[in-house]
Amino acid sequence: MKQIKEVSTRLEIAKKKIADNHKINKGSNAASLGKALKIGTELVASVVVGTLLGFILDGWFDTRPWLTISFFFMGVGAGILNVIRSAKNMNKKKDMENN
Amino acid sequence: MSTNPMHQFEVYRIGPEISLGSVNLSFTNASLFMLISAATILLLLFLGTKKKLLVPTKIQLITEMSYSFVAKMINDTAGSKAKPFFPFIFTLFMFVLFCNMIGMLPYSFTVTSHIIVTFILAAIVFIGVTIIGFIQHGIKYLELFVPKGVPVLLLPLIVVIEIISYLSRPVSLSVRLFANMMAGHTMLKVFGGFVISLGLLGGWLPLGFSVALTGLEILVAFLQAYVFAILTCIYLNDALNLHH
Repeated sequence: MKQIKEVSTRLEIAKKKIADNHKINKGSNAASLGKALKIGTELVASVVVGTLLGFILDGWFDTRPWLTISFFFMGVGAGILNVIRSAKNMNKKKDMENN
Repeated sequence: MSTNPMHQFEVYRIGPEISLGSVNLSFTNASLFMLISAATILLLLFLGTKKKLLVPTKIQLITEMSYSFVAKMINDTAGSKAKPFFPFIFTLFMFVLFCNMIGMLPYSFTVTSHIIVTFILAAIVFIGVTIIGFIQHGIKYLELFVPKGVPVLLLPLIVVIEIISYLSRPVSLSVRLFANMMAGHTMLKVFGGFVISLGLLGGWLPLGFSVALTGLEILVAFLQAYVFAILTCIYLNDALNLHH
């Protein structure tokens, strides 16, 4: 009987240790590093795609610099929008995990 | 020649030249390493699922872990509606992961350090997701480009911005993977070159850097495969559940 009790207390302690470890590791897992790496390219890609689209459309309509310039700025806007959106998504997920 | 850090990215032909019309279809070192990655995955999954033990062996454990890792990722990001797409995302994740990891072996070739490979993978995802979106929602899928609560005056501008943002997905997806792999491998090679040129006296410092960078590169190889797969899930989620 005594042995069983001893085992059960040791089990409790081990469980608590695992829970504590889990708490510590929660913020610094690989997933959050992945998210950090992802945001930078998101900003750049939209600018590149926007400018390229403007350049192609300029060729079609024969309006050389104008569409390239305006699509460049719209690309910048799209890039900022993308970054804000993914940041918002992260916050939403974090709130869900906390609740 | 071998100290040139970009030399490792050279694609060359193995065996005879095969051409179909004007298209060059020769077997290259890139194709070889893609085949090696695919074969390694098949071998791992075959060995892992051969003997279904209750207490798993190491290989079975790796197989089961990769399965549940991807299953959980899909469930968390795209919901239960995305279950039918599990095989595709699992294949994509494993392929990118193994291409990255096999690229870390000395004398090997990193397939994912070529933009054309990653861009084709991203384009498959992009076109597939767009088709799925149109199948699921019909013409209403275009509502993705028209956010709610925007004044009519601003609508043309916002729609163009949304379209640019949608079109930038495959670019950001492919450039991220390609740039990370290529930059990492170039850096490793540059530090390796320093070890040789500084010799026995000063070569120890870059050697230490090289060792540390190898660890970092293995982390990046895993992370980029993970990011590639999770972004596919997120795009799939947009296509399946149309509200944002």
